Amino acid sequence: MIPEKKAEKTPVVEMRRISKHFPGVRALDDVSVSVHGGEVHVLLGQNGAGKSTLVKTLYGAYQPDAGEVFVDGRPVRIASPADARRLGIAVIFQEFSLVPYLDVAQNIFLGRELRGRLPGMLDHRRMHEEARRLLAPLGAGFATDTLVHRLGVAEQQIVEIAKALSQRARVLVMDEPTAALSEREIRTLFDIIRGLKAEGAAIVYISHRLREIFDIGDRMTVLRDGRNVAALRPAETSVDELVRLMVGRQVTTTYRQRFCGSPGDPLLDVRNLHSRSGVADVTVSVRAGEIVGLAGLVGSGRTELARAIFGADHRSAGSVRVGTQSLEGGPSAAVAAGVGLVPEDRKAQGLALIRSVRDNLLVAGLRHLFPGGWYRPAAAARSAADLIARLAIRTPSPTRLVKFLSGGNQQKIVIGKWFTAGARLFIFDEPTRGIDVAGKADLYALAEELVGQGAGILLINSELPELVAVCDRAYVMRDKRIVGHLGRAELSEENILRLAMHHG
Amino acid sequence: MGNGAPFVPGRVFSKVPGVAYLLVVLAVAFAIFESRFATVANLLNVGVQSSILLLLALPMTLIIMTEGLDLSMGAVLSLSTVVMAFALVNGHSVVAAVARGAFVGLAFGAGNGLLVVVGRIPPFVATLGTLGIAQGIALVATDGQSVVGVGARLPALYRATWLGVPFSIAVATAAYLVFHTLLYHTRFGTYVPALGGNPDALVLAGVRAKTYHMAVYALGGLTAGFAALLLTGRMNSGHPIAAIGMEFDAIAAVIVGGTSFERGNGWLPGTVLGVLTVGILKNGVDLMEVPSSLQVASIGLLVIVALLVDQLRGRLRGRA
Repeated sequence: MIPEKKAEKTPVVEMRRISKHFPGVRALDDVSVSVHGGEVHVLLGQNGAGKSTLVKTLYGAYQPDAGEVFVDGRPVRIASPADARRLGIAVIFQEFSLVPYLDVAQNIFLGRELRGRLPGMLDHRRMHEEARRLLAPLGAGFATDTLVHRLGVAEQQIVEIAKALSQRARVLVMDEPTAALSEREIRTLFDIIRGLKAEGAAIVYISHRLREIFDIGDRMTVLRDGRNVAALRPAETSVDELVRLMVGRQVTTTYRQRFCGSPGDPLLDVRNLHSRSGVADVTVSVRAGEIVGLAGLVGSGRTELARAIFGADHRSAGSVRVGTQSLEGGPSAAVAAGVGLVPEDRKAQGLALIRSVRDNLLVAGLRHLFPGGWYRPAAAARSAADLIARLAIRTPSPTRLVKFLSGGNQQKIVIGKWFTAGARLFIFDEPTRGIDVAGKADLYALAEELVGQGAGILLINSELPELVAVCDRAYVMRDKRIVGHLGRAELSEENILRLAMHHG
Repeated sequence: MGNGAPFVPGRVFSKVPGVAYLLVVLAVAFAIFESRFATVANLLNVGVQSSILLLLALPMTLIIMTEGLDLSMGAVLSLSTVVMAFALVNGHSVVAAVARGAFVGLAFGAGNGLLVVVGRIPPFVATLGTLGIAQGIALVATDGQSVVGVGARLPALYRATWLGVPFSIAVATAAYLVFHTLLYHTRFGTYVPALGGNPDALVLAGVRAKTYHMAVYALGGLTAGFAALLLTGRMNSGHPIAAIGMEFDAIAAVIVGGTSFERGNGWLPGTVLGVLTVGILKNGVDLMEVPSSLQVASIGLLVIVALLVDQLRGRLRGRA
């Protein structure tokens, strides 16, 4: 036995003092992480902490502004995914890199097909044999000539792993590999990971499920706001400490002047809602004057819930009431009942970018403004000017094309659009994404004004400090269900994260 | 609509597309109601008529699998008959004439590829543009007239048979074998469904995806140009608008054959069935002396029925 050996070994991969800036964002600031062979290194952090950026840098999708990457102690330059692959680095992304209408073997060997004896021909037989050999220890229960689109998510994950192994990858990055897996599939995956570890692979593991990282992790690095905040071993820490490290001390900005003391009539009353998109047994309510948060990690079902309430996704059971009306059917019924959805992707779903500010503001309210069906330009111009003033939209003219406005102003137009349609209940889905601090303050001032006039808002926001600063209370989602409700007094990032993450 | 080993009997049977049933239903119906349909001579005629369509439909399948489209094929084919006929009139050999026609096709196909892949112009728009260009050149070069006087060698070749198999059916069969090998046994073929299904996967795998993507269009032009061999042979001349609109029959045949515009889902044997279905339909309504305007409508109806049958079957299997 040489007990010192492992500690002295050079890491298989080391990222030293990596920095990466995007316009307006310091995505990575002096981050260092190293992984040894035979080790699972867990990367932890909230949404936006820099994990994805770090992985993309390692995979050659981004070039760092500063810092170096070493493989086996030698400095390397990773200019493209092909470089990463040559160096033995493989990434299993959350969105799979599989081709739906190729079979398992073809996917495993994509880009490195085995050639047959005849020039230009592929050796299908040998590729299927090799694929079977790679898949056997992974416990795959499907044939290598199955088209990938027929496989379930867990099976596709296994194909991804086999693909990485076939490249003789020594560094395997897994980005939330268990997000879509069942308990049993997770156990299989962990067996596979332990097997890979025993063979000396270096594994970088990203997950939000705190319990499993104690099961599988050898070391942990916590990132926050693009920086290293801690490097730990599982035995030396606890769930509570990890949550505290991930949250840290945030600079709190005041986005809300006055919270709602006495909410008014119920505006939204959702009971035992199930949807075809997976939302299960959700009961939530919003009253006039309230801003109610909907918290949860990416993929926890918040957007699905919003879409189901709005009628954009099919509701399979349960009831949705808006005011005194029971909602049946699609979005047009929701709009008629006074619901306004401000969608996540405002450019694609909420705005006609190459139309004017005026057209966009009035489009949802045309029926309201012109009940007879005749468009009266003078009346339209008046309504638009009135809205622009009330929402404080900064535009040189009402006829300016929306695509030339800032993100914050575009978002106000989406809100204004519903305002003209007579909406009283607003669903905001990530309204401040890509908007600067001043824009955010503006937007939340507008939100507060809306609820002050008797509207209600259901707010989805992945930026927890914002959510905590703005909401009167919040629901927390996980696995498409509501797992907790926090009143104003208990509303904190720690409490939200504790509910939103898997442990226990 | 498998892409891997396409001839495993169980797999093919479990996925017999709606088109196969349509083909049988149509053939039986015409055989019952039209005595001239089910004769050897007429069925060979269907094969001959379908040959040119197959030459367009084969590359069209690949293009549609990349979630693309080529509207210029009919115009390029017409232009190539003109080029080929001029070459023959000027005393060039049949091989030299075919090479010229195919080269013009290749040039247009490569142009389409550049516009779509490098120029990022949507395929519908890009190939609509090249359609106009090809047609315009053909019309200007011929003053809108047929190019006659192609001599006797090409028509003789076209009329030749081997063991009773007409030349055009032999050419179409050879073309199918080439495309089948290309799609199912080469790298290029492996990347075609990937271009439609997940191009990022190709890039991540270090494949020069753009080159392959352009090659798919170039192959389409090349094959359309080559198809002028059959069309010129059949007409004994070149004609600037001989094949106008044939791309729509090709697209219809591909879709009827079970290739969808989504995620790289395509099946080459299905395209043969689709072409035969379109061919039998045209032949049958022709024999029954249905007005030509209604023939066009019948193909439209065929596409819709085929897709509805596939939808229904998908839903019955619980995977709509």
